[in-house]
Amino acid sequence: MTKLKKLLLACPLLVLVMAAPAVATPMSDPGDKEIKITDPSKVVVIVNRDSNDIAFLDVETNKIIGSVFLGRNVNPHMAMMSRDGRWVVTGGTRANKAYIIDVATLTLVKEIPVDFAPEHLAFSPDGRYYYQGNPDGDSVSVIDMASLTEIKRIRGFAEPLNITFTPDGTKAYVGNYGAHWVGVIDVTRHELLKKIHVGTVPGIAALDPERYLGEIKGISNVSIGNDGRYLYAADGDLGIVGVIDSREDKVVKTIRVGADPWRAYMSHGGRYAVVANNGDETVSFIDTEKNEVVATLESGPDMMGINFAAHKAFVISSSSGFLYVYDMETLKPAGRIKIGTNLQIETATTDTAEQKLYLASSTDNSVYVIDAASEEVTRVPNVGLYPWGTHILSSKDNYCH
Amino acid sequence: MTHTHTSKCRLGTSVLLAALALPQVVQAQSDEALLQRIDALEQRLIELETTTVLSDPETSVKRIEVFIDANGIEHDTQVPGSQRVVTYQRQRVFRRQTINEKIEEALADAESRNVQLGVDAAIVMQNVQQNRGQTQGADGSTYQLASTDLYFTAGLAQYTMFFADIVGLSGTPQGDGTDGELAQTNGYGARLTQQNDLSLREAWLMTQLWDQQLSLTIGRVDLTNYFDNNAAANDETSQFLSDSLVNNPALGLAENGAGMALVYDPKGAFSARLGYQQSTDAATNLSDSLYQLVEIVYRANPLRMGEGNYRLWYRQDNTIGGGLSAHGLSFDQKLSAGITAFTRYGNNEVEGNSENDIHYSAGVQFANGLGFNPEDAWGIGYSGSDLADKSNERLVEGYYNLRIAEKLQLSFHLAYLTEKAAAAEAVSYLVPGTRLQASF
Repeated sequence: MTKLKKLLLACPLLVLVMAAPAVATPMSDPGDKEIKITDPSKVVVIVNRDSNDIAFLDVETNKIIGSVFLGRNVNPHMAMMSRDGRWVVTGGTRANKAYIIDVATLTLVKEIPVDFAPEHLAFSPDGRYYYQGNPDGDSVSVIDMASLTEIKRIRGFAEPLNITFTPDGTKAYVGNYGAHWVGVIDVTRHELLKKIHVGTVPGIAALDPERYLGEIKGISNVSIGNDGRYLYAADGDLGIVGVIDSREDKVVKTIRVGADPWRAYMSHGGRYAVVANNGDETVSFIDTEKNEVVATLESGPDMMGINFAAHKAFVISSSSGFLYVYDMETLKPAGRIKIGTNLQIETATTDTAEQKLYLASSTDNSVYVIDAASEEVTRVPNVGLYPWGTHILSSKDNYCH
Repeated sequence: MTHTHTSKCRLGTSVLLAALALPQVVQAQSDEALLQRIDALEQRLIELETTTVLSDPETSVKRIEVFIDANGIEHDTQVPGSQRVVTYQRQRVFRRQTINEKIEEALADAESRNVQLGVDAAIVMQNVQQNRGQTQGADGSTYQLASTDLYFTAGLAQYTMFFADIVGLSGTPQGDGTDGELAQTNGYGARLTQQNDLSLREAWLMTQLWDQQLSLTIGRVDLTNYFDNNAAANDETSQFLSDSLVNNPALGLAENGAGMALVYDPKGAFSARLGYQQSTDAATNLSDSLYQLVEIVYRANPLRMGEGNYRLWYRQDNTIGGGLSAHGLSFDQKLSAGITAFTRYGNNEVEGNSENDIHYSAGVQFANGLGFNPEDAWGIGYSGSDLADKSNERLVEGYYNLRIAEKLQLSFHLAYLTEKAAAAEAVSYLVPGTRLQASF
């Protein structure tokens, strides 16, 4: 065979090989699909990291309605439903893409290339924009939900983990885990407006390079109070929570909590910000009226989340397989719930009635439904591989790791 | 007709032109798609080069439940006549990890399988200045103690671990009048039984039962680690140095020994502890020197000012005579996020005396950002002992613990001690000191 013939034969083959993944991408028009979900408020969205899909659980039957496969090695991290219940969005951490799913038909409608390792995300209050944090790219992608395109990539962050919009949607606050500042985004222009300095590393840190230079544990999340006035930003290395006044965008008080605080979780009434301190395995209860710690209680290792229901706080201790329970009236420990042995439990969402928790348990591919009042636990097995997080539309406890 | 013909002709020409142009349009579209694909692949290559990911399917082993029918056939779901069986199975998933993640995972896994070693070393230096009473030998003297604990821990089975503590102590403790029989201004001195020798302080197995609500520790134990765990005055390595502000003297436990500790903690408001141990190495069998201790702990948050621990304990020791008992209280209560108040009371029987020894202490600890550095802590405490033989002791100690680094801390102490033996003149000492503590 001549070189020319070989080339002629090879070219179409090359084109075919290159085009194959694009052809295999399971995107389609949802218009001609069967309606599978009529009431998006009645489903739990489950992020299955290792089966690379988003599953939908019926809250009334505890059965999986269906799942949407995203593609091999996508490894989705967090999912969120748009406020109108039309879309579910997720970031594929190892695919560097954002994914848009049509909820009614469970159809993947769009893959949008973003920056490196997209993880946590948030919708603007009006649902127009979806901000996707890309921690390894130090950027936030702005996805326009009208055109389903990335309209801007805001750079200049340091491992942006979580994004919090103000209730009026004018600003978004970004926790930088690779720094000790909070980024403020002007949502009208999608620009990084300010860097709010949350805390100063103590001078004595120079004597401890192993701790302060080895790895940085900055701000994972900025939690907002119900009225939107104050935000609470926990800094892991500094062991503090900075209280940010959203009117002035500055820290108005610094509250010392336990060692290595992960983040603050706002109680549903807004009275308390509860901080998981993974360094000393405690939880600190901050009274948001006084902005003071009013209790620091023993908890478990590797806390991944805190949910509120039935006047209790449920703290997820990931590696121990326990939920530590606290009475929110008395601020005292109220026992713990054993989910299982040798389990890695992840994060949970609370239903809108504030009666049940839906807890993802990655190592046994299950979601556990916990009745908050009776503390009865029901296992829903085989929801997908390595369920990493759950989400319910309009839940007050929608968060990720 | 002509018009029709012309129209047909135009139509035919258009079709012909379109037919001729079609391959070019298709070719252009194909080229564009190809270029887009190349761009996408280049981008993908950049990403791969940047993150260096492993795309091999991830393999892990899962604990699964299956159903075995009468014929030994395994089913994923229950079928009539089948039995639920727990088994383990390999699972492959498409999880892409970076090489960094893989290495970290492997290192963590290896670390968790090894025996963990910890070191806790301290050097304590104190000077004694007598300022009241007949001059004692300690006046003007300087004392130094060095202590090193080597800890070994290893996980043996589910919720079961082994722990050993080998301690070496040496130095010159105050023993010539500064403390006498009443108390010691250095808690390390209380542990010094042999100079320059390594000794096995603790060696035990611990397992957790009943959904980890019950913890059982058995072996050579130090029961003071499980009882009277006052949050603000219980640790000679980071809080007060004086022994009366580290442990309640009424506990009366001088040595570690073979024994057991049971801790029932459902992580609610109440917990309970029960323990026994051999209280002297000289005993020929356990029942000859049986030291038993029970404690109830109540966790409270009065007026939402912060958490508090309220402990009530009782002990019995049959080492001497028919057995001597003691009881006591140990409270610590947060007054605010950084301020913790504490108090202790102890009452113990004394051999050959109808009256009891009474010990009490109180104080306050400041931490959580109330020092020069965020993790510094300081405190002031007062302790008193009124003994059955009519002697008494009063001690005030203040300390400042400077957290130099995560593994290193330096503290400064100042104690004022007054001792009065029965029918004797009181003597008082001012004892400044420092403690350098390293834990890693």
